[in-house]
Amino acid sequence: MKLRLLASTPAVETLIATAMLTTTSGASPSSLFHRLSANPTKVAETVGRIEVQHGSILEHNRLDWLLEAREGEVLKILLANRFFSVTRLGSDSWLLSANLRTILEYQVEGDEFSGLLMSSIENLIPSAYAFGRRKA
Amino acid sequence: MIVELLAQTSSRELLAALPASEIPEKDFLGHLSFTFAVEGISRACSHQLVRHRVASFSQQSQRYIQVKRLNEHVVTPPIITEKAAYDFASFIDVASNVYSKMVEGGVPKEDARFVLPNATETSLLMTMDGRSLMHFFGLRLCNRAQWEVREMAEEMLRQVRLAEPELFGEIGPYCVQLGKCPEGRFSCGKAAEMKARYS
Repeated sequence: MKLRLLASTPAVETLIATAMLTTTSGASPSSLFHRLSANPTKVAETVGRIEVQHGSILEHNRLDWLLEAREGEVLKILLANRFFSVTRLGSDSWLLSANLRTILEYQVEGDEFSGLLMSSIENLIPSAYAFGRRKA
Repeated sequence: MIVELLAQTSSRELLAALPASEIPEKDFLGHLSFTFAVEGISRACSHQLVRHRVASFSQQSQRYIQVKRLNEHVVTPPIITEKAAYDFASFIDVASNVYSKMVEGGVPKEDARFVLPNATETSLLMTMDGRSLMHFFGLRLCNRAQWEVREMAEEMLRQVRLAEPELFGEIGPYCVQLGKCPEGRFSCGKAAEMKARYS
């Protein structure tokens, strides 16, 4: 099995912080997003407080991968979590996408695919990566 | 009302990274996402948004955020301004006073909010995949949609057309997307007019 990240929503952690503060502060989401975009320290601090119970804040993004896997392996992934989207590109080649909540929730499987997912976001979404590792 | 497309997964970026392959447009759209900030809409409007289940929402919480000066933070339908402005304003004043009195008297915000009207303003972050967004436009740009959510959909469409002209350039309500109105006997009968407007 091979997994390669192809594309992602930009500024995923800024969007997570924006979602967190939108729900609990009186500030508007657009002004929060623009203020946070200029303040990576505040973003890291806010995202560092993620609680898994409030998973919806992790859904404002989408990541796309090229997955090379056999049909049975893809079926196993889809049976474990219905929030992955898959399009067949070739016999063992798939376009796969999901949001960060799905990635983190998949970690309970503890299989090869969960490890590949986490590795693919290590540099892109470092705070969420650290959170996912703690939960695992 | 303020609507801003904050972020998206770019179709160009994804297509450039994909190995050459044929993907039906409907399937491809499901792999893209669009995140909007929506501000100053009524709770009546946000109730309609959450009917769109394949979407994610982070909305200002009335459990945590106290509504202050309610009469400055309500959405008033134009027809009410025209026909019932005084009654509407009187009701908002009463609701505002009762709410504030309850909060000051120790009623938790999560319970005091039971007297707040659907007109109360709210803000939220909303994310939809491309396919759900097409469906949203199909329904909410329709002449039969409620004016506030239609106004919001118009602004969303304007912004996604700038960001993804190839995907959304020809998109409109379902009569435009399908080439015929699916509303049956409720049809407004203006399919040709809508096609000219959105094409």
